[in-house]
Amino acid sequence: MRIRDLGIVGYKDAIDLQENVLRRRIENEISDTLILLEHDPVLTLGRMESEASIIDRAFFDKKNIPVIFSDRGGKITYHAPGQLVIYPIVDLREKKRDVSRYIDFLEKTMVRAFDGLGVAAERIADRRGVWIGGKKIAFIGVGVRKWVTFHGACININNDIAPFSRIHPCGEDWIKVTSVREILGRAIEMDMAKKVFADQFIKDLEAEYGIKNAGNI
Amino acid sequence: MELKMPEISETTEAAVITLWHVAEGAHVAKDQDILEVTTDKATLDIASPYDGVLIKISKKAGEKVEKGDVIAEIQERGR
Repeated sequence: MRIRDLGIVGYKDAIDLQENVLRRRIENEISDTLILLEHDPVLTLGRMESEASIIDRAFFDKKNIPVIFSDRGGKITYHAPGQLVIYPIVDLREKKRDVSRYIDFLEKTMVRAFDGLGVAAERIADRRGVWIGGKKIAFIGVGVRKWVTFHGACININNDIAPFSRIHPCGEDWIKVTSVREILGRAIEMDMAKKVFADQFIKDLEAEYGIKNAGNI
Repeated sequence: MELKMPEISETTEAAVITLWHVAEGAHVAKDQDILEVTTDKATLDIASPYDGVLIKISKKAGEKVEKGDVIAEIQERGR
């Protein structure tokens, strides 16, 4: 496992880099990699989504926020600086090949990481993502190629959540969203948030899949 | 040979075919990703288990598939 922190990066640049890491992982040229980043403002639509979930297109157009169709699972979400995005490139070829189990794992490790930040988040049966008080705080959309994972999850840390009210998050008109900043009443250091989520992920990946952390290579 | 929908999860019953990367009549190689399916939060590429020709697409994009469903027929090379 190695960690790559890209900082704040344009959506296309991030996806190009992810594609490169994914291809090299499939070819066994590199070890599993946890990509951490913050996207420039962008709306992304997963495979099962249409633009009908954008309520107020003019709001995003006026801010020059692009709308991008992605090859990840899931529906629509909004990304912006202050939101932590994690793209784990993990080889499951020799592991349990079960996509639901992997999504369960992502949710569980995020709930534990939130706990480390002093935020009591939870999973909800038959609903994907991570929730606090009925509001969604982390979103999942993954891809699997040759049983190597890509894409992953996004976690509202300090980002402005107002734009979520201009879409139907995850394609659902009832979903309200929140952030760590809203829950704690203050912003937290992104570097600290990244470390908490990355450390928890590495620890849980070993417990769940027996994948050992080889350090930052 | 029939290409059957492989198991992608013990608990997820169904997936939807989102797209075929190749058309009927195309040559396909073993391990080549030939279609994509999606569950509620994940997309997965499905690879051809054989070298050959994709002679029939049995389940089209937009159709729901479950483990074991026949999704295509591939004529193996040399047969």
